[in-house]
Amino acid sequence: MSSAAPHVEHFRHEAFLYSGWAEFVAGTVPFIRDGVRAGEPVLVVESLEKIQMLQVALGKEAGAVLFADMANVGANPARIIPAWHEFVSRHGASGQQLRGIGEPIWKERSPDELVECQRHESLLNTAFGRGQPWWLLCPYDTEKLDGAVIEEARRSHEYVTEGGKWERSNIFRGLDASGAPFAVPLPEPLTGIVRLAFASEDLVAVRGLVSRVACSAGLARRAGELVTAVNEVATNSIRHGGGGGTLRIWQEQSGLVCEISDNGRFDQPLVDRQRPTAELSAPRGLWLANQLCDLVQIRTLAEGTVVRLHMHLTPPERHLHVLADSPASGSEGAD
Amino acid sequence: MEIAVTCRNMWTAEGGFGIDASLEPAIGGGRVYSDKRLVVTRTLRPYGLHFSGEIDLANSHAVAECLRLTVTTGADLHLDVSALIFCDISGIRSFVEAAENRVGGRLMLHGLPELLQTVMRVTGWADLPKLVICRCRRAKP
Repeated sequence: MSSAAPHVEHFRHEAFLYSGWAEFVAGTVPFIRDGVRAGEPVLVVESLEKIQMLQVALGKEAGAVLFADMANVGANPARIIPAWHEFVSRHGASGQQLRGIGEPIWKERSPDELVECQRHESLLNTAFGRGQPWWLLCPYDTEKLDGAVIEEARRSHEYVTEGGKWERSNIFRGLDASGAPFAVPLPEPLTGIVRLAFASEDLVAVRGLVSRVACSAGLARRAGELVTAVNEVATNSIRHGGGGGTLRIWQEQSGLVCEISDNGRFDQPLVDRQRPTAELSAPRGLWLANQLCDLVQIRTLAEGTVVRLHMHLTPPERHLHVLADSPASGSEGAD
Repeated sequence: MEIAVTCRNMWTAEGGFGIDASLEPAIGGGRVYSDKRLVVTRTLRPYGLHFSGEIDLANSHAVAECLRLTVTTGADLHLDVSALIFCDISGIRSFVEAAENRVGGRLMLHGLPELLQTVMRVTGWADLPKLVICRCRRAKP
């Protein structure tokens, strides 16, 4: 373990294990302050409560820091990597060093959200591990989170800081394994499953079924958004997944779930979280699904690909332009 | 008028698009494409096309073809999409492609439903120089 500040020569993805407010402040404020004093752009994506506390602790130096509310940015965890991409591409020109703090996992996350947050933490290595140097600190509340969650943080982060000392994690899964196909099976729904097998001529039926179920479940205005997302994923099944697939719909406590499964093999781990390029033929379907839905789960299993789209009945306020709230952020979009 | 006649000739020459010649009045307006889910009609003032129904993987290539064959010489081409119930990404891509390939005038989308405006914004197709999302008419919810 070392207490000396490291020199960052590549993407440094670091889990920061803390317990209680005092440890949180002791680990984050000096990190932010050192970055600001070195002239590094700093983005903090945290809960509003923590942002307010950090702003008080930082005093006037808070003016040099970008803040974003994780409850907005990371409501669907697949929207966090695009936010970091935007930060790095906007502020990290010509090798400028950068710092970020992002806490995507908190106790109240649902089991589905938690698993996608953990996938997100792994995919950060895939997204940035071979790019320019910058330092991302991910706080984990050891008081509130399960031991298994902390254990997984040690697998998804190359570095771990605890009690003011940092070390390399000896169970970090590495860059290659971080983006390997996600094969963790999804829990089977219990009851009330509506099912429809579809082929290329059945998209109208797919949309009709989703629309009817979504409207009767009370999704109202967002029914159209769910229909749009399901249609794109089903279109992918027709085009890349063997000409068709199976749609299943069921209701859970939080809302409606639409699952599309096919025989295709999904092997582009970041395609759902890369902002589409200007290229006309660039993939857009899964990106769109992530912007419209509250949670998207993609699994590559032995028998094919499964995509689950979750739509909550009472959605959090949605922010499509993730950094728009930051005081110092400029115009939208880096690409 | 001259342009419209040119288009009708092209349609006839092209064939294979379910063009119902009997529905197309002599002035060059009328139906230029139809299938079970989509009807595309020529509009004259402003000059362009009216879309009614649904566009998806099954007919987006036909939409692209309709747009390719609707020629204007430098003027804007107006698309009334207020009666579009559904349009997927492949359909929007057809509009974007047509706009990008235009020489001179722009492609004007009129009455674009709110959900499609969201989709175009999210997919990075909302701020293209040649594709204008026109606010002239209240979009349907």
